[in-house]
Order: sequence, then C-alpha cells, then structure tokens
Amino acid sequence: MRAVVCLKQVIDPLTPATSLALDARDKKIRASAASPPVINGFDEQGIEAALRLRETIKDLEIVCVAAGDRFNADVMKRALAVGADQLVLVQDPSLDTWNSYPIAAALAAAIRQIGGADLILCGRQGSDWDNGLVPYILAELLAMPLLTLARRVSVTDGKRVEIERVLADGSMTMEAALPAVVTVTSELGPLRLPSVAARLSAARKKPRQIALAELGVAEAPAPAPEVVDLAIPVTGRNCTFIEAADGSVAGARLAETLLQAGTVRLGGER
Amino acid sequence: MSGILIVAEVDAGALRPEFWELATVARAMSASVPGDVAVAVIGAGVDAAARQAAGARPDKLHVIDDERLANPWPEAHAAALIQLCGELAPRMVLAPRTILGAEMAARLAVRRGWPLVQDAVKLEVAPEGALTAVRPVSGGAVAATVRAGPGPWVVVPRPRAFAPLEPVEQFEVAPARHAFAPPALATACGTPKRIALEGLGVDRARIVVSGGGGLGGPGPFALLREVADLMGGAVGASRVAVDSGWAAQAQQVGLTGKTIAPDLYIAVGISGAIQHLVGCSSSQVIVAVNSDPAAPIFGVANYGVVGDWKEVMTAFRDTLAARAPQSGRAA
Repeated sequence: MRAVVCLKQVIDPLTPATSLALDARDKKIRASAASPPVINGFDEQGIEAALRLRETIKDLEIVCVAAGDRFNADVMKRALAVGADQLVLVQDPSLDTWNSYPIAAALAAAIRQIGGADLILCGRQGSDWDNGLVPYILAELLAMPLLTLARRVSVTDGKRVEIERVLADGSMTMEAALPAVVTVTSELGPLRLPSVAARLSAARKKPRQIALAELGVAEAPAPAPEVVDLAIPVTGRNCTFIEAADGSVAGARLAETLLQAGTVRLGGER
Repeated sequence: MSGILIVAEVDAGALRPEFWELATVARAMSASVPGDVAVAVIGAGVDAAARQAAGARPDKLHVIDDERLANPWPEAHAAALIQLCGELAPRMVLAPRTILGAEMAARLAVRRGWPLVQDAVKLEVAPEGALTAVRPVSGGAVAATVRAGPGPWVVVPRPRAFAPLEPVEQFEVAPARHAFAPPALATACGTPKRIALEGLGVDRARIVVSGGGGLGGPGPFALLREVADLMGGAVGASRVAVDSGWAAQAQQVGLTGKTIAPDLYIAVGISGAIQHLVGCSSSQVIVAVNSDPAAPIFGVANYGVVGDWKEVMTAFRDTLAARAPQSGRAA
C-alpha cells in the first residue's frame, strides 16, 4: 500500500515582515537569504499522519512529492529524515506561482508517473498564499473522493479511509473508499523529530528529480485570479513594550495604559 | 440569470450570522453586477432560517431542504450548491468563510472552473467586468490585490471585514423550493459531536482575552475569565490550549477556530503561530503578554509585556478591579 504526501516549500511563516521583499514585477514575495524556506507546516502534518498510519500498516510505503520552482534539498530531505521512503521533486520555473492549478496538475502527473497512490495526504493549505485549493483540484484530476480537515486518519481493511474532521465546535467522522485524497489540519499535531538512525540513513538517500517537461502536463486552463499587486499593509503595528522592574508593575501599568487610551472601559460605560 | 447568489449557511437549524456580512457585500456589489440578488438556503428543516434570511430583502429565495443535508457534510452541501448554480447561472456566488462554507465554495469553483477569491477584505467590479479584490496572504503579512476576468466568480469574504446588514422585519419573499438531486456521492459522514460553550462567544465579543500553551494548564483560565468579566469580554484560546484540553473548542481563535476582529485582543502565553495570527490579526488593538521576547505575537501587537504572565495578569486584574465602579469583587 502506498501513501503519497504532497509537500510545498514555502517561506518560513515566522520570517519577520522586515525580512520580506516584494517583487513588484513578478508579483512574488521573497525572503532574504538569511531566512531559509521550510516545508509548509500543514504538509509536515501530512507526513506525520502517514507515519502514524505506518505504525499499524507495516508495509505502507510513504512517498513525498513536491512541485515547485527550485528546492532547498536540505530542507526537503527532512521528509526522508523522519521516515519517508522516497522524495520526489518536480521542478520547473513555472511552478513558482500563486495559481494552484499548474501545481496540482504537476503533482497529479507525478503521482501517476510513480505508479499511483492508495491514499494522498495534503496539508489543508499553504502558509504562503493560503489558497488551499490544490487538494480539491488533485481530487478532481485523479477522480478520487476528498475528505478534508482531518485530525485523525485511519485505514480499515486497506480499502476505506476514515477521518475525524474538525468543526468549529466539535468534530465528526467521515469516510470514503480508497484511493482517496485527505487533507490534514494543525489539530493533528506536529511532525515528530527524526531519530538519529533515520537521519543517518536519510543522508544516503537522494531525492528523485523529475523535470516538469518529462511529465507531459498539458497546459491546463487556469481559472485562477491573477495577482496584480502586493503590499505590506500600512496597518503593520509597532509594538510598544511596557517596561517595568517586574511583572506586577508591568501588569498594573498595562491596565493604566489601556484605560487611559480608552481601549478598556469598565462597568456601565460600554 | 441571477446576478448574485448568497449562500446562507444553516447550522443546527439556525442561520449563521456571517450571512448578514455577505448580505452587505451583495448590496454593495449589486450596483455593478447586473441581475437579481438571490439567497440559497441549503440544509434540513430550514424554514425558520429561510424566513430569517428573507430579512436581507433578496429578490429571490431558493431553498433545498433535504434530510441528507442535515449534517455539515461538505460533499452533499456542495452538490446542492453546484446544482443550484446550474439552474440559476449566477455571476457571483458569495459564501461564508466557515468550515463548511469555504469548502462548498472551493468545491463549486473547482467543479465549474470558476475563479475563487478567498478571504476578500475589499471587492470591486469594474465597468468592463473584471473583479478586483484585496486579501491578506502569508498570514496577514502581505496584502495581495487579485483580479479575475468577467466571471462567474466564487467569493468568500473575510469574516468581520464587512459590517453585518441590519435585517428588516416581516419581509416576505416566497421561497422557490428545489428538489435535491445529487450525483452519486463518494464520501459519507457521521453525526457531529458538538461541544457547547457557555457565556459570551469570542466571535461576538468586543474584548477577548485568550490563553495559550504558555499558561501550562487549565487553572490559569480562571484568571483570564476574571479579567474578561471585568471588561465585559470573552475568553478565547489558542489551538495548543484547546488540544491540551484546557479550553473548549468553541473558544479557539485561529484557522480552524474563529476569525475574530474585536476592539481589543489580549494574548496571554500565546507565541503567535501563523494559524493563530490568521484568526486575530484584524483586531483593532492587540496586547501580547509572553515570557519570550522573540515570540512572533509581538510582531502583530500594539502593546507588549515581556514577563511572567501570572504576575502581569494578576496585577492587571487587580488594577482593573480597583477602578471598577462598584468593586463588588474580592480581588
């Protein structure tokens, strides 16, 4: 049985806004060289979901597939270090795009190329463009059922997948026949740390590189909006730190500051 | 042909309040999007919700009422919406950015090949017919202006970015009832397990005091509750606090929880992971209390205190209590 986890390399969401540069011509956000990229955090949780499945499905093969412009191999190999069997990188300049359709088409073609998947796990969305559309397009392109926002994923008899889907005020179970696409949410929990042994064996594994041209993806219609402008919002806040000798003085001072500014009103004044 | 179709989400029989924000957007857009403004009410036992939605004075009210739509089953609800869009051919579909609404929008957009504009805080339709929208990306660090061709479009406005429309009372519009005729559905769902919340909800409060992983346990939420009560506010929580069982899921602020925009947001022991910031970055004033000066929450805060949350919030409470009009509370 094979699980494919779709990955995206993104700007580290903890990169301070001051280290971001806006490319006005290409309409892209760039991080300075001092801020290395990361595997999209939600996708890391997809890897974690696959690793948990392998605890019960011993012969589960885990293949991570990413599609992007260029990759930082050290960053992406983290997928191998935590236990993925294979890492497939589909690379092409056209994949540095806001548009989810070419990315999903490349992922779908790569998944077909490697012989398909019984279960495809995706993060709920990318932390860069926040579109969250790739899983929907993948499911459509591969004609698979889609289950979203899983905090728990299980496979029964190798034939069906069951998830616990989060709701704003609870959860519900959902299921579908395999093969299927499942998105995971942050409630599933963070990706485990690699063991030393796994890290060493991962260092010997090489990602498999596939050029987009090899996959023969037809230029798909791309009904996505285009980005025409990017701006750092002027509402960017400037934090005033309340400095004090200890926490109690600071807390009292914070209360006085908010009362004086009229931000906090007490009793019937609301 | 309809101009604008608003998705009225019904949750456990009640019309979700995001509807009124969508109604505001529809009214503003109807000047530049020709055609009717219609409302789609999808669910099971939705008559009361449909009557309520009529308070937005739509030109048409479309209802799909079917037992199979009783649960928030995304594929089924999306199928109902896709069916209605086939019959009505709207130029703009407005859906709420809720867990169900956002998924219905995505499924509709991908199935029909219509551009999807999510998290819009500003919308404009040009005379020549292109839709331009502004939306936050990268967790709010950057504002992107996006443009989509002549439509149809699927638009998901950002919660709290548009003021809710005031409903008119006793507005009658006869609902057009459509029989639900879905294709074979590939997924199945169980009955939701919901956890009720007592007290003021974070999504309606003007002041929210939230606790996160830095609090270390459920006990400190009692202190946050006292602080919130003094200010007439609600108590929220980060995902870490909810996952650890220290707070109820309905209190969760962030990507899976609520997107809120209160006048004042006080984040205590919350580092500010991106999925949390997405839910609170539109607050008017943000106060962060955290022992780690490098916590990303300070990057979006107006006021920050680096220190021990217990000392800070205890003194904060005592100061407010001493200033409260009739301080009936032993601090």
